[in-house]
Amino acid sequence: MNLKKCVIAIMAASLVVFAGCTKKQNASERVLNLSSTAEIKGFDPINAGDLYSGREISKIYEGLLEFHYLKMPYTLVPNLAEEMPQVSTDGLVYTFKIRPGVMFQDDAAFAGGKGRELEAKDFVFSIKRLADSKLNSEGWWVLDGKIKGLNEWRDKNSKLPATNYDEEVEGLKAIDKYTLQFTLAKPFPQFLYSLAMPFTYAVSREVADKYGKEFLNHPVGTGPYKLEAGKFDQTKTIIYVKNPTFRKKLYPSDASPEFQNLLADAGKQLPLVDKVIVHVMVESQPAWLKFNKGELDFYGIPKDNFGTAIKDNKLTPDLSGKGMILSITPLLDVTYTGFNYENKLFQNVNLRRAMYLAYDEGKSNELFYNNTSFPAQSIVPPGIVGNMPDFKNPWKGPNLELAKKTLAEAGYPEGKGLPEITYDISDSTTSRQMAEFFVKQMEQIGVKIKIVASPWPEFMAKVKKKSVQMFGMAWGADYPDAENFLQLLYGPNKSPGANSSNYDNPEYNKMFEKAALMQDSPERTKLYEELNKFVADNVVLMYNMHRQSYTLQQSWLRNYHTSDLHHNNVQYLNIDNEVKAQSLKKF
Amino acid sequence: MNIWLYIIRKVVNMIPTLLGVCLIVFVLFNLVAPDPALLLLGKHGTVEQIAQIHRELGLDRPFWAQYFDIVKSAFTWDFGYSWSSKQEIWQMIKNGAFPSMAITVPAFILTNAIAISISLLVSFYRGKMLDKSVVFVCVAMMSIPGLAYILFGQYFFAYKLGLFEIAGYEPGFPNFVPYVLLPIVLYLIMNIGPDVRYYRTAVLDEIYQDYVRTARAKGLTEKKILFKHVLKNAMIPILTYLIIQIPFLVLGGILTESFFSIPGLGGLTIKAINTSDFPVIKAMTILSAVAFMVFNLLTDVLYTLVDPRAKLK
Repeated sequence: MNLKKCVIAIMAASLVVFAGCTKKQNASERVLNLSSTAEIKGFDPINAGDLYSGREISKIYEGLLEFHYLKMPYTLVPNLAEEMPQVSTDGLVYTFKIRPGVMFQDDAAFAGGKGRELEAKDFVFSIKRLADSKLNSEGWWVLDGKIKGLNEWRDKNSKLPATNYDEEVEGLKAIDKYTLQFTLAKPFPQFLYSLAMPFTYAVSREVADKYGKEFLNHPVGTGPYKLEAGKFDQTKTIIYVKNPTFRKKLYPSDASPEFQNLLADAGKQLPLVDKVIVHVMVESQPAWLKFNKGELDFYGIPKDNFGTAIKDNKLTPDLSGKGMILSITPLLDVTYTGFNYENKLFQNVNLRRAMYLAYDEGKSNELFYNNTSFPAQSIVPPGIVGNMPDFKNPWKGPNLELAKKTLAEAGYPEGKGLPEITYDISDSTTSRQMAEFFVKQMEQIGVKIKIVASPWPEFMAKVKKKSVQMFGMAWGADYPDAENFLQLLYGPNKSPGANSSNYDNPEYNKMFEKAALMQDSPERTKLYEELNKFVADNVVLMYNMHRQSYTLQQSWLRNYHTSDLHHNNVQYLNIDNEVKAQSLKKF
Repeated sequence: MNIWLYIIRKVVNMIPTLLGVCLIVFVLFNLVAPDPALLLLGKHGTVEQIAQIHRELGLDRPFWAQYFDIVKSAFTWDFGYSWSSKQEIWQMIKNGAFPSMAITVPAFILTNAIAISISLLVSFYRGKMLDKSVVFVCVAMMSIPGLAYILFGQYFFAYKLGLFEIAGYEPGFPNFVPYVLLPIVLYLIMNIGPDVRYYRTAVLDEIYQDYVRTARAKGLTEKKILFKHVLKNAMIPILTYLIIQIPFLVLGGILTESFFSIPGLGGLTIKAINTSDFPVIKAMTILSAVAFMVFNLLTDVLYTLVDPRAKLK
């Protein structure tokens, strides 16, 4: 054989070996295929500070309460609690009955490797873990200053070489095996929401003691699923199987009008699918292709693929022909451009108003959100009490004439005398494009902006260190209450707290403090609206958008709806394998 | 010089280099990297919590003490635990090394075998149409960015033709095989251009040497000259090129691993950079530097084996 033939033979052989070697999945398996667009940090509930970790943790761990899966507005219902708590008349004492017969998953940490029954003391331990300063929880803010004696316990133990979990906390007691009592230091109307958040999920002391620092890689909860591998190796494919000791928990039989079509599985034992595979896919292109090939059961449409997927707010024939279903859901969030109030320049309200007036939000919506978002008038998003659907911010642009006039009133006619302002952003392509648009908008009135792009962690560090002038940011709800948005402008929450713009207005602080102590009532709603109007009129931030989620689901996926706060939705999802087999023929 | 003496001298010379690498890592981390406490605490971090994390991670200690820790790690190879995942770093490296190498090792062997074969072929037909065409194709392939190959490969070969998995990874043999095939093919496509050009140049450099003319004068066939004499003499640049690539095989491909969701060391490094996970950054940098120096030394030693005329000084 001559040399040329030899080379050709090698190349041909290589291709033959490679080609056609895709892995085929058994179509009869009831498997849910999902994706996570970010790596998760691990399975420690106290560090479920990001959406992605919260979703994974909620497959294994559970809390006292959860949001009803089929009710909107968000409604709290008991989960590990047997019923909603008894609350004292002063709103300070909450007494819960724990559901009996709930078992922790089997693990070597328990005697004989068999999981034991969940007790009230497990919640006492879990809340103390959240408060333990040595564990540096991301979720301490939820209960900081809220439970009587907990801050004192935290401070005292932070000085000790080892945390004493046996020391009692006045406001956190296991009255008996199934009775748990919280006593608050002051009224905190959002307290019950915090008990539905992953931060307060129940963990067992035996497991925490056995695995120590590696606890986050050895999840052992009471939830519907457990890791197939038993431990988490920080892999990019996370596989869950049904927890064989999961208690009796049924699919809900009641639903809000908009979810009446999701009741086909009412009364069935949860979880509904045997296996859940989560593919960690940071890049959107392969995930989108995987979804289009039927290998993912739902996926948010990536920005760059929006034009090929949606025409006139409807699915393109190509995708609808495959049976895909589009769901459009408003998100509980706000995107904004912040001013750093530590810089005296931005204490000039007319400067802020002029800049806001010069900005064309409609054009921004068209360019960067495919016209899918709602221009924000203030900080509280639609769907949360405190948002005023008919309210129009008088300073929202574009109104160039008024912007120029207001800038002159600010002392900078045509931008004269105004120094160049730096605008910090994260260095993603979209952020850069948005920043360029912002620069052009400001140029129209003579305000000069210099873009400073940094990788996300570095950008966040600059914001937290107050070393920015203006910056682009977004906030998603931790719980469905306006307080969670209004606290972004509360003085004592300044950076490195959540108040990234370091706004500190005594009048606003006073109103906020009053609202924060009020139970849900028409008076509180009125006060929330006043606060919302106050920050709108003063253009404390440049409120940009309230975004919407455009999610596609496959025809064989059942019971799915998009939600910000149903972290544990996977247990309610179902797969119709017959429909899947039929639909895949069209792919 | 005795080969062992040479090796000892080179190993001793590695010490200041390693100290320099430690210093660069330390300076860069302190100057450029964001505060890990802010990343670990998320959006609600307090001043008190930040200080606590600084204490716990040892970031409140004097600079010299922090630098000493890095140097200690470099010489004991005890890198401790990840700040972010709390896993032992050696375990993380062990977990990530196989997926990375499952792509890079077969791709490396295949690419180089094909590239060397093609370079010999075109050298045999140097100046002819085949040679010019191959060079043209190589240059064209080199002009296309790696990302374009990945996006096209995923779309066309995996999505449209269904020949490969689009992305993902399953541990264990043979589960991982379907997931690494397309990355291997793309590695080959991305690297074959520069490799063929390099090897062709190495072979052509030899072809114009006096000994080739002598061989021709003696009446040896072109094939014999090429395989028996030229290839042997071209082995020094070829070996250098090959061996120097080996450390990078373990480190994996950052872009490839990211787009194919492969849990390899490239992804591990990027994740560590994004989360300011300094122990992982430190471990990966030190191991890379050591591997680079060791393989450089190995190249020098191999020279003497391939070409007895080469002397170690």
